[in-house]
Amino acid sequence: MKRVAIVGAGMTVFKEHFDLGIKELVPMAVSEMASHVDKGLDRDDIQAAWFGELTTSDGFPSGILADSCGLLDIPVTRVENACATGNDAVRNATYAVGSGAVDVALVVGADKVRESSARSTFWEWASLTRDMAWDYPLGLVAPANFALHAARYLYESPATREHMAMVAVKNHKHALTNPKAQLRFEITIEQVLNAPMVVAPFGLYDCTPQSDGAAALLLVSEDVVDRYTDNPVWVRGVGLGMDRVMHQHKQDMTTFPPTVRAAKAAYAMAGITAADVDVAEVHDCFSAVELISYEDLGFAERFEAYKLVESGATTFGGSMPVNVSGGLKAKGHPPGATGVAQCVELFEQLRGDGNNQVDGARIGLAHNIGGPTAVAAVTILGNQKD
Amino acid sequence: MTRLTALGTYLPVWGTDGARAAGPDEDVVTMAVAAGRAALADLTDAVVTRVVLVSRDLPLLEGGNSAPLLAGLGLPDDVHTVEQIGGAPALLDALAEADPGTLVIGADLAPAGAAAAYLGAEGVEISLTGRVVRSLPVRSRGEDGVRRNYEDPRLESVRGGDKAVTLLDLDTKPVVVAGVPAKHAATLTDGKPPALPVVGAAAALFAVAALEYVGDGGLVLAVEQASATAVTVSAVPRVRRDEATAIAVPRRTTTPGPDIAISLAAYERAFDSKLRWEAGRCDACGALALPPRFRCLECGSETGWSLSPLPRAGEVYTTVTVHVPVPGLPTPYSLAIVQLDGVEVRALVKVTGAPAGTTQIGDRGTLVLRRVAVRSGVPDYGYALLPQTAANEGETR
Repeated sequence: MKRVAIVGAGMTVFKEHFDLGIKELVPMAVSEMASHVDKGLDRDDIQAAWFGELTTSDGFPSGILADSCGLLDIPVTRVENACATGNDAVRNATYAVGSGAVDVALVVGADKVRESSARSTFWEWASLTRDMAWDYPLGLVAPANFALHAARYLYESPATREHMAMVAVKNHKHALTNPKAQLRFEITIEQVLNAPMVVAPFGLYDCTPQSDGAAALLLVSEDVVDRYTDNPVWVRGVGLGMDRVMHQHKQDMTTFPPTVRAAKAAYAMAGITAADVDVAEVHDCFSAVELISYEDLGFAERFEAYKLVESGATTFGGSMPVNVSGGLKAKGHPPGATGVAQCVELFEQLRGDGNNQVDGARIGLAHNIGGPTAVAAVTILGNQKD
Repeated sequence: MTRLTALGTYLPVWGTDGARAAGPDEDVVTMAVAAGRAALADLTDAVVTRVVLVSRDLPLLEGGNSAPLLAGLGLPDDVHTVEQIGGAPALLDALAEADPGTLVIGADLAPAGAAAAYLGAEGVEISLTGRVVRSLPVRSRGEDGVRRNYEDPRLESVRGGDKAVTLLDLDTKPVVVAGVPAKHAATLTDGKPPALPVVGAAAALFAVAALEYVGDGGLVLAVEQASATAVTVSAVPRVRRDEATAIAVPRRTTTPGPDIAISLAAYERAFDSKLRWEAGRCDACGALALPPRFRCLECGSETGWSLSPLPRAGEVYTTVTVHVPVPGLPTPYSLAIVQLDGVEVRALVKVTGAPAGTTQIGDRGTLVLRRVAVRSGVPDYGYALLPQTAANEGETR
């Protein structure tokens, strides 16, 4: 397999973009990406595109990418893999470039969560992830989906709601300096603990906001990388993991097996271990999910994730900074865009010009877990080819 | 003359001792199932050949409610079922004239309660003493099922119940009266008759069950508007009460919104497993799966499966409470994953019969039929966890 590099990255601000549709957000992200390619990008160079979009806003996703970005002469494939959509789009493009089928591939992720009324959003999105006869009518809202895990995790591990709150406080703080982030304000542990309950044990500040946005990456083969930059970021490993779809079939709900599987594949491909990761963007749609994911990704021993937030290890300036962008929690979470935007963040970190730049970062990891906690994606990037 | 082998009663936990309220997940079908199960619970070899459900609150489903009723009761789908619109007199009529093997059920929504009687070869004797059918429609229902009330209680009691009783020309006074307020009932009996928790069809069976409190058989009278039926019950019947201690109706928020979508194809495929509480049992290795599935969870066999009854008790593995408004569902509500006793099966269900947020990991409970949601006008039945709480300990009194 040929080596694959990222040579351009860009994204829109994440927020409630009531004033912009998917047909605006997608070309905006692509144009920003193109403007960040060091030696410039001739769009005619792009040979294929992968578009991660979880829902369909304004219709046929692949066509919208081709049409809105002026890319009518290339094949476009839509990727949908729940909240792992963005990193799975990266994975698919990586394989295409790695195989030699194409030398230059575009990856775009986008979603418009705030496109339907607040009242209709819930049932529309629930139908994407629930068994229609058995689970859908129960009202297993997205936070409940993860809260079922968090409740059991809090029961079995020493972690408390205060540790969950520490995750939210940390990620809000990180977002302060990120111009692309949706929630740029600090919160306190007391505010998190006293916020109105959404789905116990998650209060309002344990939850990601609803976001709109788009992000784009340019992936190229090692054969042509020099045409675009002298400072590429290499795709070192990709992995995707699955699990039983229904919660009642998950044996141990204190862990996310899809993450373990995706991380194992990505680490093996990169030839590294968790200890080699310098900076990580970890799926924190709900505060406890970041804690559990520390363990699934190998950053902490089982049931010891709380130590990483207690010690500040995962705060910017700590030994293992996580979500220096603000994470899903504060940067925002338009699902199709989220994984791609994590790689945008890591692209900047590994080139030394990131928000909350981590000194000497060489290896970055991006992680998503989604759907009925049944799919996860991990992407490992590095500023060294090997 | 018929023989009443066993009686079962059901009262929702919500409300006051005097007036229970159906939970948001209850209707006539789920309450009828609860009462029917109570009636049949202690009968080891009772064969039910006919079910008669009497109510004025039947869900208005074209195609009827018999299928969920039979499934919830665990009866075969070829049992003759009658859904009858009627009040307390209609229920006594059905009771006095049923063939052995009949399960007669009455269920009412407001106040809420249900009771069921199994008529067999043994048990106390029930015989019709008198019946009078007249018209004084002080309450009526529109095409949409919404009730209209003429609002003249004096007219109703004087020219309704009192005149009906006069026309019945009874030799003895009744000992229990169903279908009228307690004060009115007291004027028709000697002394103070037992108070009944409901006034509709179910009241007639609660009246027969109340002979427990009288301590002897006797005349039971049922009145509705201007009609009445009286039966003589030979002795105190056998009664099993599924009556929780009343607790106040919790504050619930209902959020309007679009209809909750339903796939009737998925509904129909899931129906037997979901309403009969049966798992798919792998034909090759015997592993259970809920819901049933094409490929076995354990051995990977795709050769087939057959339905197998699941235990109806278990322990909470994890639970959460949804506070955020959800269109179409009253909030807050609790969800739980329940590890069923003695099998490798967990179920994801709603919690019923306890205020949201009061159920914890490790709590025990039973699985009961409830109306999980109303989806685009269709009642969607399934099972919910009824936690063992102090209130629910009133069960099987």
